[in-house]
Amino acid sequence: MATDLAPPTGGVAQSKGLKSGALGLAAATVVGVASTAPGYSLAATLGLITAFVGVRSPAIMWIAFIPMACIAAAFFYLNRADPDCGTNFTWVTRAIGPRSGWMGGWSSMVADLVIMPSLAQIAAIYTFDLFGFHSQAQSIWWTLALGIVFIMAMTWICVVGIELSAAMQMIFLGTELAILVIFSVWALVRVYAGHISGSVHPVLSWLKPSGFGGIGGFTQGILLAVFIYWGWDTAVSVNEECEDANRTPGLAAVLSTFILVAIYVVVAFSAQAVKGADFLSNNSDDVLSATGKIVFGSGAVGTVMLKVLLIAILSSAAASCQTTILPAARTALSMAIHRAFPPKLGEIDPRHLTPAFSSWLFGIISSVWYLGLVLVTRISGGDVLTWSVLSVGLMISYYYGQTGIACVIYYRRYLFKSLKNFVFVGLLPLIGGVSLGALFLQSIWDMTSPDYTGDGHSWLGVSPVLWLGLGVFLGGIPLMFWWNSKDHTFFDRGRDPIDERPPPEGGEPLAPLVGSTRVVD
Amino acid sequence: MAGEVILGFDGQDGSQAALRTAVLVAAAFKRPLIITFGYAPTAMGGEVSDLSDTVQTLGKQITSDAVKAVRALDPTVEVKAELVNDRPAEAILRAASQYDALTIVVGAAGRGPIAGALLGSVTYQVVHRSTRPVLVVPTPPEA
Repeated sequence: MATDLAPPTGGVAQSKGLKSGALGLAAATVVGVASTAPGYSLAATLGLITAFVGVRSPAIMWIAFIPMACIAAAFFYLNRADPDCGTNFTWVTRAIGPRSGWMGGWSSMVADLVIMPSLAQIAAIYTFDLFGFHSQAQSIWWTLALGIVFIMAMTWICVVGIELSAAMQMIFLGTELAILVIFSVWALVRVYAGHISGSVHPVLSWLKPSGFGGIGGFTQGILLAVFIYWGWDTAVSVNEECEDANRTPGLAAVLSTFILVAIYVVVAFSAQAVKGADFLSNNSDDVLSATGKIVFGSGAVGTVMLKVLLIAILSSAAASCQTTILPAARTALSMAIHRAFPPKLGEIDPRHLTPAFSSWLFGIISSVWYLGLVLVTRISGGDVLTWSVLSVGLMISYYYGQTGIACVIYYRRYLFKSLKNFVFVGLLPLIGGVSLGALFLQSIWDMTSPDYTGDGHSWLGVSPVLWLGLGVFLGGIPLMFWWNSKDHTFFDRGRDPIDERPPPEGGEPLAPLVGSTRVVD
Repeated sequence: MAGEVILGFDGQDGSQAALRTAVLVAAAFKRPLIITFGYAPTAMGGEVSDLSDTVQTLGKQITSDAVKAVRALDPTVEVKAELVNDRPAEAILRAASQYDALTIVVGAAGRGPIAGALLGSVTYQVVHRSTRPVLVVPTPPEA
């Protein structure tokens, strides 16, 4: 009988790893920018950032980018060793060891979990605003109800595997960027024309890296701003799929960088010119909607522009949902395949070819989490959104920082082989890793203060953000030991032997982490 | 050899009808039938390699079942499966051009024309981007 399956050397299957439908420069840039979801990120954080650092929010935007850019170098080079497109679980396991890797995977997943309430709440508020239900937009119960519907709908979309065609993604992202630019220009024009009472003329000192109200205000601002660049590393990691693997991915990363930093700085600049920084802080739950109403006014054109702005934020939140549920489910699947999680989480749905079980589990847990958070804040008072975004910054800084350090450790044999290696594989990841690690520790220290969020809420003498952020993070440790006692296969593997590690320029494909189901053709 | 019949196959109901038609076409024109399955997940959304490996394993199962189904329908048709590390539409188009295929056969079950254009249906992409004839097979209504 003839072979049913193509032999590894024959025909189409030969070209495994190099795809014909390669990503062009524009597409690779779109993936990078869209994964970061600038519209949603601004909507969720701008008002909170101004609450902590006042008019210096544009400065925070560009400063926070520096450690993230350093970490992107680590992602880029670790991805060469084991192309994973952005999960730190395997990389950290290979570089440092299984327990660190497990915690890295865990913290990236709980980061996804912790941000879901914010994502859902923003989507709900902007949907209500779009259709004119302004009192519902202000109600925590209405936004909770619509938010959970939103989470479930998005989970379903991820399970069924619907994905927007590349053209539609371009249109959505183009609209998102265009409306943010129009919003900024329109705001500045009206501010300078003196049409808006209470407006502030922008000054360049808003960009100065000082005057953040002490180290506390600075780290809080950076912790929030780290969140707005979360996901940007995807543009760097999709390198394997680009047309010209030597130029395109690097160029796409640089381009998406400039786009993101520019859009964040410009929007922060013009939004706080409209009514001052305090106005943004007071409307932090729907900052772009509130500012948009003032900027665009109530005329016919203005009303249309406001609707476009709201739709852009919504589509951005939807895209962000895709880049939150998918990675969480895929990391769970990856961990299950390498026997770091129960095998059930590694199942894929035969009909849709997606990790259906882990996606639904994630969707359900995040809805319950959202509900629980709302109930708790009803009892104790406080703001779900602020706490979520602040505590997610904690986890992002942990696992990004860990990835930076892992890069240096993994390639330590090659660091002094060339100046390029020293700078891009050693120095930059180290700077990123150390600064994010410092941010992680300093933030934990700050959060032990009952007055951390400045809203007068504390649980048992420390900030609720610490309970949320550190609680879910440390909650992984007993889970890890529980699973270790059930199946120790994964935990018995050590780090990769130093002489088996490929050079950063790339080398032979690595053996799988654990005797996995990985098919080697 | 050139002039094969390429079948885009994912194991779902829509592609079962396409499989039956593809067997008829391959038998009528006396051409080999190539069953294509693309297993790469979208680049958006983090980790891809473990998911694509798992889908590949499943794909081997799905396509080998399909090969058996073809042999059961018509033992005279020469049939082979190709697993391609690419998005499904790309996989079909690439196989078609590498084999210099006579025609591509795909199922039409799924979304309407507008939803297909917006959401990126595989059939829609194949129909609009292929440089060779495409035969689109509708799913028969439930009997």
